[in-house]
Amino acid sequence: MKNLNRKTSIPSIIMQAIKIYPVIFVLIAFVVIFSSLYPQRFLTLLNLTAIIRQFVSLMLFAAGPSIVVVTGSLDLSYVGIWMLGGILVWLLQPFLGMYSILVIPILGLVTGFLIGIIHAKAKMPSFILTLSLLVIYSGLTATIAGGIPRTVKGYDFITADLIRGVPTPFLWAIPIIIAAIYIVKRTRMGIYLYSIGSNEEGAKLAGINVDRYKILAFTISGLFSGIGSVIIFQHHGGSVPVALNLNTVVYPLVAIVLGGTLLIGGSGGPHRTILGALTFTVLIRGLNISFLDPTMIQLIVGLLLIASIIASSRGVRGVTVT
Amino acid sequence: MKGNDKAVVKELFISGWLRNNISTIIPVIAVVVIIGIFQIINPVFLKYQGIITLVYAMSYFLIAACGLTFVILMGSFDFSVVSVLKLSSLLCVLYVDRIGLMVIPLALLVSVGFGFINGILFAKLKVPSFMATLGVSIVVEGIGLYLSKGFLHIVTNQTFKALTVTFIAGLPSIFYWAIGVCIICTLIALITPFGRRIYAIGGNPIGAVLSGINLDRYRIYVFMLSGFLAGLAGILHISQQGGGSIEMAADMSIPLFASVVAGGTALSGGVGGPHRTLLGVIIITWIQAGMLMLGYDRGIQMVVFGAIAIVMGIATIDRRRIKFVK
Amino acid sequence: MVMAMNDTIMEIRGVSKTFDRVVHALDNVSISISKNEILGVVGENGAGKSTLMKILVGVYSPDSGEWYYKGERIPFPKNPKEAAKRGISIVYQEKGVIPSLKVYQFLFLGNEDKYVKLSKLNIDKLKKHAREILEEFHVKCNIENFMYELPLSTQKMVEIARAILSVRLEHEVDDVTSVIILDEPTAPLTIEERKDLFNELLHMKKNASFIFVSHIIPEVMEFTDRIHVLRDGKMIAHYDLSKERVTEEGLFKAIVGKESVEIISKPEITEALSEDVVLKVKNLTKKGSYYDISFELCKGECIGIFGPTGSGKSEIVNTIAGLLNFDEGALIVKGKEVKPNERPHVRLAKGIGYFSGETGKELFLNWSIAKNISIVNIRKVLRKFIPVFNFSAEKKMAERIVKQLSIKTPSVNAECYALSGGSKQKVSVGKWFERSPVILMLEDPTIGIDVGARNDIYDSTIEMKNRGIAMILISDDPKEYSLLCDKILFIKHGRIQKVINNEKFKQEMFE
Repeated sequence: MKNLNRKTSIPSIIMQAIKIYPVIFVLIAFVVIFSSLYPQRFLTLLNLTAIIRQFVSLMLFAAGPSIVVVTGSLDLSYVGIWMLGGILVWLLQPFLGMYSILVIPILGLVTGFLIGIIHAKAKMPSFILTLSLLVIYSGLTATIAGGIPRTVKGYDFITADLIRGVPTPFLWAIPIIIAAIYIVKRTRMGIYLYSIGSNEEGAKLAGINVDRYKILAFTISGLFSGIGSVIIFQHHGGSVPVALNLNTVVYPLVAIVLGGTLLIGGSGGPHRTILGALTFTVLIRGLNISFLDPTMIQLIVGLLLIASIIASSRGVRGVTVT
Repeated sequence: MKGNDKAVVKELFISGWLRNNISTIIPVIAVVVIIGIFQIINPVFLKYQGIITLVYAMSYFLIAACGLTFVILMGSFDFSVVSVLKLSSLLCVLYVDRIGLMVIPLALLVSVGFGFINGILFAKLKVPSFMATLGVSIVVEGIGLYLSKGFLHIVTNQTFKALTVTFIAGLPSIFYWAIGVCIICTLIALITPFGRRIYAIGGNPIGAVLSGINLDRYRIYVFMLSGFLAGLAGILHISQQGGGSIEMAADMSIPLFASVVAGGTALSGGVGGPHRTLLGVIIITWIQAGMLMLGYDRGIQMVVFGAIAIVMGIATIDRRRIKFVK
Repeated sequence: MVMAMNDTIMEIRGVSKTFDRVVHALDNVSISISKNEILGVVGENGAGKSTLMKILVGVYSPDSGEWYYKGERIPFPKNPKEAAKRGISIVYQEKGVIPSLKVYQFLFLGNEDKYVKLSKLNIDKLKKHAREILEEFHVKCNIENFMYELPLSTQKMVEIARAILSVRLEHEVDDVTSVIILDEPTAPLTIEERKDLFNELLHMKKNASFIFVSHIIPEVMEFTDRIHVLRDGKMIAHYDLSKERVTEEGLFKAIVGKESVEIISKPEITEALSEDVVLKVKNLTKKGSYYDISFELCKGECIGIFGPTGSGKSEIVNTIAGLLNFDEGALIVKGKEVKPNERPHVRLAKGIGYFSGETGKELFLNWSIAKNISIVNIRKVLRKFIPVFNFSAEKKMAERIVKQLSIKTPSVNAECYALSGGSKQKVSVGKWFERSPVILMLEDPTIGIDVGARNDIYDSTIEMKNRGIAMILISDDPKEYSLLCDKILFIKHGRIQKVINNEKFKQEMFE
């Protein structure tokens, strides 16, 4: 039986933290590497602000899916919600005025619900389902926008500076992140989600309505992605892209995996994704500042993704992987 | 009780037969309907020039789809097909002027190499196939970006081009490549032990193990095959097109996947085959051509393909077998 | 037949259940359970115990039957929660544990209602009560441990605590009328742990009743008050241990059905054909499963490994087949030693086949009969000069097998999904029959199928034996051992207790 007495000296706290969250080690390593290689560019307030901004963008998309991944499924629809939501705001603004921004969270909610139902009842694997939906949404966005990136005005207040030096999107992101962590750690639903991810059959035997909670998880994820999209949307000056950039889809996924959340479910969650997102952001910023060829960044991201999956898949035993 | 048993068995037998064949009938009906609609909309289309355009669109697509079919038959997923295809095209474009037709074995080797990596990640390192291939696809795209630096490249080597645009019996040679590959793949799938084992792994991995199939080895082989075919598709595509630039992977991945499931190959594995994918590819490329003709932009096309992917994906899943889906 | 006592808590009558329209899992079963008693439900695998229990806790609904609670008729529960409200819950034999949950989370899983306010879980209260429960049931672990960290026996104790808790939390009336079903609870436990468990149960008997599902006769005899015996879906015997004298052999015969032993006719079994040793097992050990297993298997010989669930018999056979590793000892096949972590396809290439009666595992159900048979006989159905399938040869081979085993099917191209359980089993047997491996492992070959199909399978198995195929049999049916095996190894707690020959085995079991 594990001895759960904790020592309280600072080095041992750090060591214990690294044991539980190995990614901290990677984070520290990155910070150290980039700080020593490019001290003038890395250790500046400008860079720190950029890191926070990028971290926020990442977390807002990764928060919802972090909840879904606990059940062992994946939700890749967030970029679609962002794109389609944005263009719908542009479309509806002449009619609904300021309220049209609400379309985005509503779209997220409905999307998540739809995905949940199809996944739970029709038994379609979540990866390909959400990916296909993403493609459908981006297609709809391009069609509605007529192929041109559109801009929506009038929502500056969302990202206007509130506290000096602190990017407002960060302040908005805090409640979302807290809510996500709260759901998985402090509610009954959270325990049920972990159960489904850890042993779905056992969860069913224990009387848990697995379908219901899967649908709930996807719905919440869609809602969070929707809310997150509102902030990101304005973060980008209210413009809506019409081309699907695979990076925006993959980056949050990297953050989740890097954080140590297992893709088969049953462990991890938004609290781990925070660390993963932070670490990944530091890496990206560091690479951007460096003198490395920009095209190498994509390569490194891919290798990082593979490396972190291999590292976390090591703990998996006896599971039939498809 | 005995008589009842017999009646029951017969009923189950018929419903099983029906189920298997509905997934064949639907694609065939779809193809007929589509051809019919085309004729109505634009009778001129099915004349010579239209057919050539269609053939060019279909051929390389079919080859890549056959590779993906094998992976899906096995119950896995290969997201890297499109990226490998494009890298293969890129390698040809970049080096054909320097090393001539030797680009072909080069591109194929690289493609098979990435397929091998996919296989190792999946079979030996136990990474779920969609993640492994997603990761590899990002790496491949990265390499592609780095090599091409975003520039447009043109092929000038005539021998290379001749591979695909030599006209035989009125159709470009790429057509024969595609049909030939499809026939060979179908034969592999249906009448060779190798193919039978792939169906086995997709149908029941545990049963496959107990029947003496080396799961790891076959999984690696299949991903290598998928890589090979993706590479081949890339070579032929660039040979025919003559030049181009890099697009985003997501653009083509879903239509590719849609063509496999639209043909009746089930996501759950163990059912379908390259012969089915032929139908699926016809459906998808014709729909694409049709939409272009009718003036629908790329956006609507993506919506349609995404919808087909979901609908056919759901329709083909064998819910009897799947207990837990993630 | 059912003893209705005055403090009967609940009674079910006339419960029947069929699956797949062809298999009768339960046929007109009635049981009752009273306050403060431990009721044993025994029977072979496939007798219907598991189905009956699942009906009691609402996982399945019966095709017919009535439920009486304290004399009043009520509907069957539709889900485990409803069952818990009536005071019934179950501890499953396997897959009941959620590994990544912490103990305090698992203890209350599904029953957190009283600890939830507006979606928020009162974790402190949860943890406090968790500690109290663990103390009450003397479970030695920390509430913060993950379930996967605990040894199996502790996991089992936590599961039992959880079952009792779920009833306490859901049940509106008092404790005394709780019924906890324990499905083969002692399989993963050591001797001491079993003793501890039973002591706890006797203790807890004051507050709850237990249904003890098992086929370990000595345990059932010692710790239950009454015993119901299930065979082939029917309740065929009932014993009240306070009123009658029951012997282990008597119970055993009831489970097994002595009468049917004589009915099965069989072709003449020839004695083990030769001194040709095809398999030598030397001091085979796998920590935690079996220790120091040694025996020799000759051509045409069939050895049975006989023992209760958890004795290690299944692990031994799975090891030989290549599904498990072994830690120490040696396995020598046809004179050559094999390595511990070879996978099944390598073992098969060396001549070891493995057949499990759980046909979902082994068959390709959406394939035709012909394909299922040919997948292990590929070499026989290829064309001469090109390595491709010869479909007519494949068909002929399948037709031969169908005839040999009397498989009921309109055609060899019929999907296996459409076949009855017995027919599926026959297809499985048939493919090995054709393959004729050097050694064949048989695990529960006739589980859950009707007598007719069983006899057909026995006939084919004996013919395989006469052809010289060496076999190792594992089953819960002593009749099978007496019918097929030349020698029987008795195994308990992972060690061989004794080895006896067929004659002596028959004497011990059936007289």
